Amino acid sequence: MNTACGVALAVLVAVAGVSAHHSFAAEYDANKPLNVTGTVTNVEWTNPHIHFWIDAKGADGAVVHWRFEGYPPNMLVRQGWKKDVTLKPGDTITVSGWQARLEPALGAAREITFADGRKMTAGPPAGTGGQ
Amino acid sequence: MSARLRSRVIAVGVVLVASAASAQVQPKPLPRTSDGKPDFSGVWIATGAIRLMAGDAEADAIRKADQAAGRSLPAPEPPPYKPEYEKVRQEYLARRGIDDPMARCLISGVPRISARPLPFQIVQIPGLIVFLYEVHHAFRIIPTDGRPHPDDIEPSYLGDSIARWDADTLVVDVTGFNTKTWLAGVGTVHSEQLHVTERYTRDSYDTIRYDVTMEDPEVFTRPWHTHEYFRLRPNERIREYECIENNEDLLRIEKLLQNESVFRLQR
Repeated sequence: MNTACGVALAVLVAVAGVSAHHSFAAEYDANKPLNVTGTVTNVEWTNPHIHFWIDAKGADGAVVHWRFEGYPPNMLVRQGWKKDVTLKPGDTITVSGWQARLEPALGAAREITFADGRKMTAGPPAGTGGQ
Repeated sequence: MSARLRSRVIAVGVVLVASAASAQVQPKPLPRTSDGKPDFSGVWIATGAIRLMAGDAEADAIRKADQAAGRSLPAPEPPPYKPEYEKVRQEYLARRGIDDPMARCLISGVPRISARPLPFQIVQIPGLIVFLYEVHHAFRIIPTDGRPHPDDIEPSYLGDSIARWDADTLVVDVTGFNTKTWLAGVGTVHSEQLHVTERYTRDSYDTIRYDVTMEDPEVFTRPWHTHEYFRLRPNERIREYECIENNEDLLRIEKLLQNESVFRLQR
């Protein structure tokens, strides 16, 4: 194995072994990706995760009250977020992420796209919980 | 190309060559404390955690810099568990990590606490080195003045640490652990016999090489070694992370444990 490959492998393994707080795979399903567009109704700026709610129209036209989990505030501010400014009630956003295993309207947010096209990282990538 | 444009191109070329040359011949000198020892003071983070904390662009840039500097780590070793403890680890893996003590906001042990995607700060003076971890508000106050471990150690999450210098490498000896932490990854259990030796070597201004040996004759057939690089984060400061504030995962985990068969079958 050459040096470059060695570094790449070591980094890959290390990343897979890093958890922000809890095992992703325990609570969320990496095989159920989400892409939900709606209006933000509330933002909870707390540890160990922020949560935010959006109202989105489901396939049958009924409004679904989605709840998403994201990084904690200390991780988000390092990626350019600001409390009460970056994400606030009334914003129209699209959230990509993954669905929870048990609660159908709960998701782990990975990225938010705002109405003007800006994208912000909101949470970790899907993990297996195997490392 | 006009003469004016040509002269500009040449000027830019000269600047680029000059800066590349100066970058190669003048690495920043390693800082030292007043006793002449390498000074590890600063804010650091595990290289493997940068992607989560700072995003893909920065992680890719650092990977390229590591490759250019010839910095590499040995291939990861699987934990050398005795069969009965490997079985335990596999059970935890099959349960997708739901039992992770971190999900309950419990403090990570050594060396796992160093791999978290949150930085830590090292403060060093002659005779003493202090690690301040953003995660869990945890700290380790480690004497480097030659004193032995105290004789009244109670088992704890981070154990008791003392350190000595091996040339320019700081060697930290950690013992007195409880059994409530995982070492490095899901299900990496250990006993109270765990003995960890950490070796910190500042091999460049921006990096610390971190080599760990974990010995535990109760669970391992031989010592387990892990390796990592820490990266200096000059523009970073330690922030607050009060994990237990709104840890709804506790409730969700309880619900999952009751409702998913994969969790009911084992443990």
